[in-house]
Amino acid sequence: MPEPSLEIRLAGLTAVFHHERRGDVTAVKELDLDVRPGEFLTLLGASGCGKTTTLRMIAGFQQPSAGRILFGGEDVTNLPANRRDIGFVFQNYALFPHLSVFENVAYGLRVKRKSAAEIAARVAEGLLQVGLHGFGDRMISELSGGQQQRVALARAIAIKPRVLLFDEPLSNLDAQLRVQMRTEIARLQAELAITTVYVTHDQEEAMAISHRIAIMDGGRIAQIGTAEDLYQRPESRFVAGFLGSTNLIRGTVVGSEPGNTVLDVAGYRWEIATDQRLLPGQMVEAVVRPEALGFGDVGSGLAGTVESRVYLGAKAEYGVRCNDQVVHVVQANPVASRLYGIGETVYLDLPASGVQVLAVESPAP
Amino acid sequence: MPADAAPAFATPGALGPGRLIGAGGMLGLWLLLLLFIVYPLAMLLVRAFYDGGHLALGPLLSTIESPNNLRALRNSLLLALLVGVAGTVIGLVFAFTAERANLGRRAGRLIDFATLLPLISPPFTTSIAFVFSFGPRGLITYDLFGIGNIQVYGLTSTFAAETITYFPIAYLALRPMLASISSSFEEASFSLGGSRWHAFRTVTLPLIIPALANAFLLLFGCSLADFATPLILAGSDFPVLPTEAYLQITGMFDLRSGAILSLLLLVPAGLVYYVQDRFVAGRSYVTVTGKAATASRRDAVSPMARIVLVLACILMTTVILYFYALLFYASIVMAFGANSTLTLQHYRVIFTEGLPAIEDTLFIALIGMPLGGLYGIVVGYLVGRTRFTGRKAMEVISMLNYALPGTIVGIAYLLAFNDKPLALTGTATILIACYVFRYSPTGIRTTIALLQQIDRSMEEASASLGANTVTTFRRVMLPLILPAFFAGLGVVFIRSMTAISATIFLVSINWTLITVKILENMTEVALGPAAAFSVFVIVVVLVVTGLLNLALKRLTAPSLRVSRIGT
Repeated sequence: MPEPSLEIRLAGLTAVFHHERRGDVTAVKELDLDVRPGEFLTLLGASGCGKTTTLRMIAGFQQPSAGRILFGGEDVTNLPANRRDIGFVFQNYALFPHLSVFENVAYGLRVKRKSAAEIAARVAEGLLQVGLHGFGDRMISELSGGQQQRVALARAIAIKPRVLLFDEPLSNLDAQLRVQMRTEIARLQAELAITTVYVTHDQEEAMAISHRIAIMDGGRIAQIGTAEDLYQRPESRFVAGFLGSTNLIRGTVVGSEPGNTVLDVAGYRWEIATDQRLLPGQMVEAVVRPEALGFGDVGSGLAGTVESRVYLGAKAEYGVRCNDQVVHVVQANPVASRLYGIGETVYLDLPASGVQVLAVESPAP
Repeated sequence: MPADAAPAFATPGALGPGRLIGAGGMLGLWLLLLLFIVYPLAMLLVRAFYDGGHLALGPLLSTIESPNNLRALRNSLLLALLVGVAGTVIGLVFAFTAERANLGRRAGRLIDFATLLPLISPPFTTSIAFVFSFGPRGLITYDLFGIGNIQVYGLTSTFAAETITYFPIAYLALRPMLASISSSFEEASFSLGGSRWHAFRTVTLPLIIPALANAFLLLFGCSLADFATPLILAGSDFPVLPTEAYLQITGMFDLRSGAILSLLLLVPAGLVYYVQDRFVAGRSYVTVTGKAATASRRDAVSPMARIVLVLACILMTTVILYFYALLFYASIVMAFGANSTLTLQHYRVIFTEGLPAIEDTLFIALIGMPLGGLYGIVVGYLVGRTRFTGRKAMEVISMLNYALPGTIVGIAYLLAFNDKPLALTGTATILIACYVFRYSPTGIRTTIALLQQIDRSMEEASASLGANTVTTFRRVMLPLILPAFFAGLGVVFIRSMTAISATIFLVSINWTLITVKILENMTEVALGPAAAFSVFVIVVVLVVTGLLNLALKRLTAPSLRVSRIGT
């Protein structure tokens, strides 16, 4: 049996870079994060959000300016990367071009001075796990991108690391292969139950494979939770806009009591079942996904005019102008109902639940 | 993401005992650099500017003001200008033909071979062949046209011989540039209604102007520093700086004037370096990857232009091959131009009388080769991959002896190591040191270039798998920079066999060199042995670089193979 999985804890982790022209740049700001034992956690964010820097600090490739890193309670902040017992999968694979597939996977085992028999067995096992059985004698240059990715994965898991770290491992693959590989990575991680931190900028990838996702922005974690949490209950405009496309429907709170809030949207009275406490008169934005909206009967719902329409077969996408805002609506399986024309007046069914309401700090632009 | 900012971070982890060894090695390296690069140059400057402990500009000014020396400076500049322009044009024609004119594979090989020959030959080779062809008993002038009293020595033949010797450098600099310009640029111009010539003029040419400037400056520098060709071909009516400095020292035993003359050479050489560094480097519009653009259009020239270009290349290639054939022929006949009986006499001479020179040269080249190769990757790795105080200084200092004309380096060594406490002149040590520190920078540059291609993630991957710094260097970095080591070996060996401009000041009764012997033979009009020596050197260089290439091929993975050694 593998050793029990361990927890990764980041406490007040900070990274300050010195930049020639811009002076000191803080890439990661006092970041706290607990990765649960055996968990698959993804750091998701746009480029420059600090996700890769965080990962590299966990790996030990970069020394944090402040804060601590703990593996299962053990402080590894000052431990060099080669003694942290990690498996790292690089964006560019970083396979050793002068070694064969076998020797690449065996590298970490040879460093640890394992016996030849054990090396042979564990390399064979690793290659089998990634579906590259029998590829040991190939040179790296003879492999396709996807195969190289598998070797990199086999190399990382062959040493049975305490922690698995992925730095955008699929970004160099084409779309189809990406989907296939991410499924395999998720399967392998579940099988090995090694605590995993995965970095990507691809939200679909993050949602598909992670137990939890931490969305990062400006060196901080904007929100952390399961894919459903983040998609359905974003706590900020940033998170709402980052995951999937969304509508932020502006309105004013008319009344609010536990379990029920009433908004005024362009004269339309919208009742929402929510436990959020809001003050009457407050300007808010309601997060509604385009696929949660539907077209209602004439006279019932939020009135608007169809401004744009894109027909995509399985669905149709509309832009509907309601007073001063444009609401995006996705109509699934349009064949079942009917397509609306540009200029047509429509009435939008606003959902009564599953709506996250965000307070507007400053008047909406 | 901050991959570029990464070095600002200290990588955690120290290397206990390794650190001590590292510190000791670093100290030793600095001592060597100071002793064999900084100290000699300082001595040269002191000799030129100081007299009895005082700054004395009198000798400096009188040397500079001498009409003969001014003429030498003017001649040097004129020659370098002509060679720079002509060599660049010929190099461009070769590079363009090779890349764009749809040459066959065999013709391409022939061009590669013909352009390789001048690069690996002793410096006198072209000059000797020139004398054989155009001298008083020359094959062309006398035998073909019956002109008996021809004057071969002077500007024209020096210029022609240097152009043939150095244009391959321009070819090698320009060809990858042309290869990396995607022919789609030309196609775009073509599709917009321009003629092929118009496309070349308005698209290709502007794109390679920085490369052309670079090639010109390279050739300018080579010609300026060339000592061997003018010594044979320039004659007394066309003095140039390197030969004048040599004559001052060997003929008049006037070390100070020699030093000052060699420093005069430094002014244009420094200017060239400045222009190259400041205005040409980094101005390139094309990124050179060494990889030809895929689906390169091979019919970028009109059929007529193609014929002209190919003919021009064939003509030039024929001239080069003719010169080398002539050299070989001269080495196997009794007396070139007088007695055409076939004989091995000259080879007998070089392997009996000339044997000490051959033994010395091979000894020096074979000792210097591994030292130079090692020195190249060590300095290259330190400069290219590590951070320490004085890193930039090390990079600049390690390049000095390479960048300076050989005459300066030779005279500096002569001044520095002639007297106690470091009386090394005339020993094998000084000759080896001179070659190692003068010609290893190629290995250093190649190492740095290779390291730039090796992503830091290689080292990180190794660390993440549990390897420490030493293991990572041994098992990952070393195999990856092995090609640079071999490139360093090759260049140091080739130069140890062929270079003369610096070491001619350092040879002695006890230690001499083949190249110096060739020069002696030329002055004694013993042309046969001179030719035989030259052929011998070329064969040895071809064999050794061939062996090195083979070893490199055996030792490295196919994906890592870089360009051939010596090219």
